[in-house]
Amino acid sequence: MKRRMKVLAVLLCAASVIVSGCGGTGDSGTAAAEKAEQAADTDSAQKKETETEEKSEVVIGFSSEGDSFDPCTGFGYTGSPLYSTLVKVNGDDQLENDLATDYSVSEDALTWTFQIRDDVTFTNGDPLKASDVAFTFHTAKEKATYMDLTMLESCTALDDTTVEFKLTKPCVTFIYTVAQMGIVPENAYSDQFGLEADQIIGSGPYKMVQWDKGQQFILEANEDYYGEQPKIQRAVVLVQEEDARLVAAQAGEVDIALTSATLANTEIEGMSVQKVASVDNRGITLPTVPDEGKVTEDGYKIGNNITCDVNVRKALCYGIDRQQIIDEALNGYAEPAYTECDSMPWWNEETAIETDVDYAVELLEQSGWTDTDGDGIREKDGQKLAFHLMYFAGDSMRQAVAMSVANQAKENMGFDITVEGVSADDTIQRMFSEPMIMGWGSDSPMTSYMLYHSSNAGKTDWYNPEFYTSDKTDEYLDKAMTSLTIEDSYEWWKKAQWDGETGTSMRGEAPWAFYVNMTHLYFVKDGLNIGNQRIHAHGQAWPLIANLAEWTWE
Amino acid sequence: MIFAALIFAVLLGVYLSGRLLSDDLIAADFSQKAQKPSLEHPFGTDMLGRDMLARTLKGLSVSIVVGTVASCVSAVIALIVGVAAATGASWLDHLINWVIDLVMGIPHTVLLILISFACGKGLKGVLIGVAVTHWTGLARIIRSEVLQIRSQQYIEVSKKLGHSSWWITVHHILPHMVPQFLIGLILMFPHAIMHESSLTFLGFGLSPEQPAIGIILSESMKYISTGMWWLAFFPGLMLVLIVLLFDRLGENLKKIVDPYSAHE
Repeated sequence: MKRRMKVLAVLLCAASVIVSGCGGTGDSGTAAAEKAEQAADTDSAQKKETETEEKSEVVIGFSSEGDSFDPCTGFGYTGSPLYSTLVKVNGDDQLENDLATDYSVSEDALTWTFQIRDDVTFTNGDPLKASDVAFTFHTAKEKATYMDLTMLESCTALDDTTVEFKLTKPCVTFIYTVAQMGIVPENAYSDQFGLEADQIIGSGPYKMVQWDKGQQFILEANEDYYGEQPKIQRAVVLVQEEDARLVAAQAGEVDIALTSATLANTEIEGMSVQKVASVDNRGITLPTVPDEGKVTEDGYKIGNNITCDVNVRKALCYGIDRQQIIDEALNGYAEPAYTECDSMPWWNEETAIETDVDYAVELLEQSGWTDTDGDGIREKDGQKLAFHLMYFAGDSMRQAVAMSVANQAKENMGFDITVEGVSADDTIQRMFSEPMIMGWGSDSPMTSYMLYHSSNAGKTDWYNPEFYTSDKTDEYLDKAMTSLTIEDSYEWWKKAQWDGETGTSMRGEAPWAFYVNMTHLYFVKDGLNIGNQRIHAHGQAWPLIANLAEWTWE
Repeated sequence: MIFAALIFAVLLGVYLSGRLLSDDLIAADFSQKAQKPSLEHPFGTDMLGRDMLARTLKGLSVSIVVGTVASCVSAVIALIVGVAAATGASWLDHLINWVIDLVMGIPHTVLLILISFACGKGLKGVLIGVAVTHWTGLARIIRSEVLQIRSQQYIEVSKKLGHSSWWITVHHILPHMVPQFLIGLILMFPHAIMHESSLTFLGFGLSPEQPAIGIILSESMKYISTGMWWLAFFPGLMLVLIVLLFDRLGENLKKIVDPYSAHE
């Protein structure tokens, strides 16, 4: 009731400002207020009417929409309702055909041939042919922005419905790259593509009808869509800041709104918080090499004499209670994390570990870390068991996670962690020698390859600042990459994580201490069903509406 | 006089309590998070369970340090520049006036951000940034004061008696500058503190876990929509109080030492 009064009060104020501002005829205050009240009444009455009549529309409180809707520069790699892809990841996190009807891979794993549907048209009326697919991949490779297509040698349309990809080296994850690439029309493509509403031409279940940059965009169902017609005929997507989204949700102006762990505890009448699992993890990178005075090409220090000890790294994995981090730092809105790919088809379930403080302490003592001077902090050879843990200044969630980890490490293990907020630029300079809170999350096993393959160690692309290298891991990862089908490769990804003796996971070499998978949170109006959401990758906004076509009002 | 001493004592008290409070008081304690103001936590606690009173005091003491150092440096620069402009060659006067116009012409916050960024981030950058941008106003006042005194008869007499320009500056002009200098110094404090907190508010300078009043305020903005008003209210109020106290201190001091306003 109180909240309603508040909303009403806000409405009244706003309305009276508008009325007196526009009229300027010197209405007395009470008259203006009365008018405003009437306006507010009719407003809400109208709203109720529309709600009951048109249950095929949805208003979404969204975050920034980005600068471009061009798939060739990376738009929609987590799926989008505007473009269709050859194959897609469904709500059960399995690949299924979208434009493709069938595909095959040659014996040497270098030639991929896709058969595509012949009944697809773009929203401008042009038919979608294999040549459009080839054009899309060529353009994306040329632009070389988000999409990594360095392994693609050529892409040719053999006829209208057959397209052939030639790769420079075997790459089983190429199927996920294909799943990320929305197909654009060759004839309508220009430099302006994706930058204006009428230059956004796809073949997905929805088409863009209006885009007011930085404010909103409106999607309408594409009546020529080759698949099933979506139930939601029209979606108004509002670009809002976090606070504005909360207020809009409280005022009932949006049907679904992105929110965060901080705000999700707010109760909103008629709405509930929905959690969607993600692989958007938060963990700590732990440099695996000792400090031997070496520096990277750019002159940044390499190595850390404390975390180069595998026992210390594992102690940080076992000695921290993940559920406690989630409860105290994230208001309960997260899940424990064990690898970079939890719950994905290529995840090895054996990597899930139980919190075991005694084991962590035992590991530390094995390595000679004991508290000899009684100050509660362990030491060895005069060196304290301590380091600075960096997080991106300004990311309050990472700060909270870091502080919770630091508190527990001190309490459970006598491990002194100083939490320090650092800018991204400064982090790059220090990340090769100091631990930091990092997050990854992608729905392709390519991430695992980038994180742990020795060819990628010590680059400034954030993947492997720990300088983790292992011949065994390289062997498994290479085997996985050269597999003929993605299903065949699962076994090798799993072995890379943990093969019974060693691996990249926290039971093995533990270059990362994974702690939590962020849960993506949304205020959803009662009655709106947002379908079967696949496990979200990094980013909260676009993965949500990737399956807009499956949403329904009940 | 007593009033001035009292204000001074309050400010010193805030500074010392901020300095002397142990860092453990602002360590995260999740069992105490997001509590409303109570007897145990008069200013409440934030989302990480840190006591806001301790954080505010620590933040204010950082502000006071920045304020003190920055206004002292600024005042000294102002004195040197002002006296040099008034007693030196005319080209020097022109040059200095031009520099003053230049510095005053650039929007203050932009200049602050530029300088503190160029001088390395962190407390050092903020200090230098605030210190080297606040001298212009006082320098102008001192210049005109010096010009006025230099046209007095006794200066002419002193010149005729063969005293050098340097001697005259030290013995006849500088003593007259003391009141202006002191008052200018104290009145620069509020500006310096406000600019320090606006810099940290914008995220230039200190990292988020360090206590600074600007950081506390910018953090509180995130939680205001969830109704945690105390995160912004008390620290903001304290900042205003400290600034006002410095202002009163300056005004009181003015009454005591400034010959022109002593009889008002």
